[in-house]
Amino acid sequence: MNDSIVFGQYIYRNSFMHKLDARVKLISLVLMMIGVFLIPKDHFILLGIAFLIPILAILFSKISLFKYLKSLKQIAFVMLFSFVFQLIGNHNGELLLKLPIQFTVVNIAIVVLALIIYFIVRKYLPFKFLIFVLLLIGATYLFRYPIYGHIIHSFDFLIYQEGVIHGLFLIGRVFVIILASTSLTLTTKPTDLTNALEWLLQPLEWIKIKTSIFAMMISIALRSIPTLFNETNRILKAQASRGADFNESSLKEQIGQMVSLLVPMFVISIKKAEDLADAMEARGYIPGEKRTRLVKMTFKVSDYMVLGAILLLFVLLILGKCGVYAL
Amino acid sequence: MKIEFKDVTFQYYSEEKPVFEHLSFTIEQGTTTAILGHNGSGKSTIAKLIVGLLVPNAGQILIDDVELTEQTIDEIRKRMGIIFQNPDNQFVGVTVRDDIAFGLENHQVPREEMIQQIEKYATLVDMKDYLDKSPEKLSGGQKQRVAIAGALAMETELIIFDESTSMLDPKGTKEINQMMRSLKENFQKSIITITHQLEEAIFADRVMVLNEGKIVLDGTPQVVLKEKDILEASGLKLIDGLDVLNRLEKDDFDHKSSIMEALWELIFKM
Repeated sequence: MNDSIVFGQYIYRNSFMHKLDARVKLISLVLMMIGVFLIPKDHFILLGIAFLIPILAILFSKISLFKYLKSLKQIAFVMLFSFVFQLIGNHNGELLLKLPIQFTVVNIAIVVLALIIYFIVRKYLPFKFLIFVLLLIGATYLFRYPIYGHIIHSFDFLIYQEGVIHGLFLIGRVFVIILASTSLTLTTKPTDLTNALEWLLQPLEWIKIKTSIFAMMISIALRSIPTLFNETNRILKAQASRGADFNESSLKEQIGQMVSLLVPMFVISIKKAEDLADAMEARGYIPGEKRTRLVKMTFKVSDYMVLGAILLLFVLLILGKCGVYAL
Repeated sequence: MKIEFKDVTFQYYSEEKPVFEHLSFTIEQGTTTAILGHNGSGKSTIAKLIVGLLVPNAGQILIDDVELTEQTIDEIRKRMGIIFQNPDNQFVGVTVRDDIAFGLENHQVPREEMIQQIEKYATLVDMKDYLDKSPEKLSGGQKQRVAIAGALAMETELIIFDESTSMLDPKGTKEINQMMRSLKENFQKSIITITHQLEEAIFADRVMVLNEGKIVLDGTPQVVLKEKDILEASGLKLIDGLDVLNRLEKDDFDHKSSIMEALWELIFKM
């Protein structure tokens, strides 16, 4: 059996952030998400204040910054494109830069060739993203000078002040939210998160929605991930021992192999689900019925303090938004 | 807990033939009963019928003279525990502690009491050091011990072992069998063990052998073990030495009765 399977991103440390009640962390994240989108457009001071919260969370989590940056990497492309869209689309404010762009056959060929080479050797490159950005900048630079041949099309690439500012603000917003949600998932066990979610959704019970069933579903799904993972490994090994090569086969073969993996996984999952349902029923589980809980969540002084601080900031923001005072 | 089957007929709707027809027997309170049979003899179906996971097509199942119905099942289930075959598929919790707690939470046991019960029964099955471990880190035998602790913690009157050792390695099998024996000696519980291993049945007060939906043998292990032909016809593997013993039984020699008695005793001590 594989011992190294860790589901979710949780990393164990003995830190302030880890000891903080999961409910406090969850509520804070929700408030932050709402708050960050309520910040008036291009108000960098407020964004800076919002940015302080995940920074503090990172400092108090005893987890290296690298882990946080890793989660940013996944969304870096999206952030880059929204920035570029802002640059192209927003034509307000002062004109900052005028880039004449001229397409010629040779120019296009060089850029396309560079991109193709990039996508082929990408696997072996360090700092992929950085190289990609450099490539884009290089391409823009190249398009300014018709190297050779007939100009097919030419236009002026205009960058305005507001485009830059708004693009940066947009990135800042996403940055803050990603950092905040990463610090939640890195410091909270999935089970604690489920419990917190169930607690948070309690009001829904008043309108007869059985939130406990959903919480049970989530926790059973979480519990099944490592088991199914082991099962998948077992099937993969069984097929590899019979000559299946998952690394060096054509796309068509790979699809066939996926089917021969998915079908047994499907059968196993259904069998497991059936057995588990029997076991749960035999042990007296009645969906939606009242249950007592072994896990007891208690708010500590530090929990109240953190929640209080976040709430205070949120209320101040709302009041400002409503025009009680100028932001 | 007294269990009574009256003329029970059961058929899986995907199959053409019923598993059994007009099956009747009674299991007395506080006894240990072994139900033996080869795969497909319908022994596991009996377990599922007792805990109400399956409903008979005809006939009645009475638990302490109360009929098992949709209305009574929830109350009756609180008084019985079952340990299934596959150790992985019956582990509900994320940790050992969670899993033992699962049944208690369902029965709305207060939290303080729950903590005490978990400590007590985890110690009893020797899993106290593993309370915060997740199931992937445990062996099959350990997982089954957790399941036993879960059933014991609910303080049920009846515990059913439904082929609980068939997916375990020899070490795990031995552990669980020893646990069953100690349960029989130390607790005033009814125990039903369902198995296809004769070795696991000889400690019981009563052995029932099932073949093709019929009870072909019923009695104390001493009586049942002597019916070598019927046991073999029922697809069961004989215990080592039983064959020799049965052959000796037919012969005539000096001090036969005392020698045979000593030999039988040896078999039951295994």
